[in-house]
Amino acid sequence: MSITQLSPVFTLLAVFAFAAPAHAAEPDELLNSKCSGCHARTDDGLQRIKDSRRTPEGWDMTLVRMAQIHGVKYAEGERAALIKHLSDTRGLAPSETAAWRYALERTPGVVESPEDATLAEMCARCHTYARHALQRRTQEDWLKLSHFHLGQYPTTEYQALGRDRNWWEIASTEVPELLADHYPLDTEAWNEWSAREHPDLSGTWRIAGHAEGEGPYHGTVEISAEGEDRYATVATLNFPEGRTVVSEGNAIVYTGYEWRGTADADGKTIRQVFAVGEDGNTLSGRWFDADNDIDGGTLTAVREGPAILAVIPEYIRAGETAEIAVHGVGLDGEVSLGAGVDIVETVSADGNIVVVRAMAAGDAGAGRRDVSVGDASASAALAVFQSVDSVRVEPANTIARVGGNDGPLAKVPAQFDAVAYANGADGDAGTDDDVRIGYFDATWSVEPATEIAAALDDVEYAGEMNTATGLFMPAAAGLNPERPYSTNNAGDLVVKATVDDNGSEVSGTARLVVTVQRWIDPPIR
Amino acid sequence: MRGPITLLAIAFAGGLMASAAAPAADYILTGQKPDQLVLIDAKARSVAAKHTIPDAAPGVLTVTPSPDGKVGYAIVNRWESVSGIDLDSGEQVFRADFSGGDKRVKAMFGMDVSPDGSELFVFLSPVSLKAGEYEVGDTYVAVYDTSAGVGAEPVRTFPAPRRTAILAVSNDGSKLYAIGWDVVVLDAQSGEQIGVHPIRNWGRQNFTEPDVLDVWPQWSQADVFSTPYFTIRTDKAEDDPAAYAMGMLTLDLQTDEFVMEEYENFEVIIFSTVVNPVRRNEVYGVYTQLSKIDIEKDELVERIDLPHTYYAVNVSSDGSELYAGGTMNDIAVFDTETLEQIGSIELDGGNMALSSIRVLQR
Repeated sequence: MSITQLSPVFTLLAVFAFAAPAHAAEPDELLNSKCSGCHARTDDGLQRIKDSRRTPEGWDMTLVRMAQIHGVKYAEGERAALIKHLSDTRGLAPSETAAWRYALERTPGVVESPEDATLAEMCARCHTYARHALQRRTQEDWLKLSHFHLGQYPTTEYQALGRDRNWWEIASTEVPELLADHYPLDTEAWNEWSAREHPDLSGTWRIAGHAEGEGPYHGTVEISAEGEDRYATVATLNFPEGRTVVSEGNAIVYTGYEWRGTADADGKTIRQVFAVGEDGNTLSGRWFDADNDIDGGTLTAVREGPAILAVIPEYIRAGETAEIAVHGVGLDGEVSLGAGVDIVETVSADGNIVVVRAMAAGDAGAGRRDVSVGDASASAALAVFQSVDSVRVEPANTIARVGGNDGPLAKVPAQFDAVAYANGADGDAGTDDDVRIGYFDATWSVEPATEIAAALDDVEYAGEMNTATGLFMPAAAGLNPERPYSTNNAGDLVVKATVDDNGSEVSGTARLVVTVQRWIDPPIR
Repeated sequence: MRGPITLLAIAFAGGLMASAAAPAADYILTGQKPDQLVLIDAKARSVAAKHTIPDAAPGVLTVTPSPDGKVGYAIVNRWESVSGIDLDSGEQVFRADFSGGDKRVKAMFGMDVSPDGSELFVFLSPVSLKAGEYEVGDTYVAVYDTSAGVGAEPVRTFPAPRRTAILAVSNDGSKLYAIGWDVVVLDAQSGEQIGVHPIRNWGRQNFTEPDVLDVWPQWSQADVFSTPYFTIRTDKAEDDPAAYAMGMLTLDLQTDEFVMEEYENFEVIIFSTVVNPVRRNEVYGVYTQLSKIDIEKDELVERIDLPHTYYAVNVSSDGSELYAGGTMNDIAVFDTETLEQIGSIELDGGNMALSSIRVLQR
């Protein structure tokens, strides 16, 4: 397959960014003109298309496949118009995507929790479990998807977890039943959601979140309507150590709640994958560098108060006094940081940010405290701790990929964060009652994960860990004649974070597999 | 333990040795991306001919020489065609394109030629590309008359189990072995199932179903198909290395003898193997290591690291040297006694990738 044929995939997410205003033709006419050559018209819609619902990314993957495999041509703006129309009329309700948003948000290092073991083995051995869980189809159409899979990828039944069972027999009988049972076309949730009017999102929003590898940030975004479901954004973001970013962008809202935005920030193009809350008053999700999706952060946003978004820093040590900022909207009134934490003075208060000097009692017990400012409250928003008893590294398991070296794909690094924990009442680390304190700076290192990794000197070859930032940059792609078997610069590593807790070192680890390039990288993996 | 070597096998091996002493020499036949069929003078370590296969891109899958060593058959064109190339002239003398109409049909690795060279057997997996939907069809074997030339159509077809990866014709031409979940024995004329050697369905107590995937036709020197398998002993503790066993499956195409026996705890992955036609107890396997396995004693004899990954391996007619290929674009030559590397054949151009490494005599 030529690069030309592949190129729609590489520009997939960009469609959301550069989508022209709605195509001139009526969307249904456009759908008919592009699709009915193969998908027969019926009384209730086009064959196949009427039998499924998908996310915007899911519909775009279908549209791209139709171009790649079946030669459909889209004039400028047509693909974007079709994504919008299909997502609005045949989308998923918020409750139907809630468990699987990590796949849309491209969250690094997610280890999935499949609902069904058979589907995990039959489907999620090649792609994420989320990929099918983010679709809804009739049982008949799920069966047709099985036919497509083996018809398009006939080696499926030869691969591991394919050849150990009568794969096609299972895929063509049990699997469509399971999929229709878990992910049916007709649902109450969709009937209810698709009948709703969706609110205009214009206004001033306060935002906060965690920039992965960097720390907490907060800011403000002005959202203004630019036509139906289309918005312009201007954001001012305040990151740790005084880094301030002003970012302009635009966004489209699909299916009444699927915010897909693009913004320029610090010379990077940032993609936004957010969900609008059901009341139209919150946004949540993840943003990331369009060219490097491990470089990103979480986001929550709120438009109307009173509401608390975040407490920065999110922890205070027993016996210490510190400035604590409560971020939100409509913050007015008495500040409470919970049991054992006294407000010494209010440093500043402007309705969006209330900064107080607070003192945690020396005998305050470790735990998360509810925080309130007047009528606004947030549960478990501030941690009080005596000492850091353990450290967990997030993500606990992840992958980096070699790249560059004149090859077509860039390196895919891995970013780690160290999260401090205090022991709970049981006095043991690693148990359910551990108290999450929050993100701490750490000193980072890597070690071989196995005897083989040590023998192959993976630490030397697989890449380099930034000891200060927790960013692991993998090595160059391609065969390395210095290594046994001239193998790639792959590696199996343990990532170690060491936190300095007032002079005592506390460490935690994660597993990092450095592997080869991902040659096919669709919007939903 | 496998049974004692039959008189017939000894006679056969002797025959090969006799032929090795004759003027005929060993040639290696393989494919290179995107469309090259490559003939190599094995002892000279040099490329004798490179032929361009018409409409073959992006690569060459299974390669099968005719018994007289004059024609090379190759699965090409995204596995949707088989092309027969005259190895002297480079002319395409045979071509069968499987797909047509709304059918897209792929050869799934398995291909062999009858001992008299008159018929070509290919294992096929079809799908109907209908308006708005695909429909997977049943897998089958297509049989072609090798004299049908370009545009050949099957002279007959018969059903074969899904997931078949190897087709091998018995030495007498009567049986067609379809090797996948099990070794299904088909009548080569009628396609009727006349026997089965169970693999997945071996039903051994305290062993899981063995895992086998072999797509490399490397049996023709010893007339024994061999492939490694992996199984887990359920009567051992999970942390006991002896719970994870590697075994060798052999199918004698002369005698129909079928054996599966474990020879070591799992240590390394082996992609494909070949049986020595002279010291017939010796099997050699490749991937990132070259392993020498004694299938009479059921033990690993020796193992060395390879310079890089090789998927395929074959052996000279005199049993003295091995040709490790596939994957990239060089063939490494090893002494079968010592496993010492004694040569290298560089093929400029594309990788061999999954293409077969065949040895023929010319």
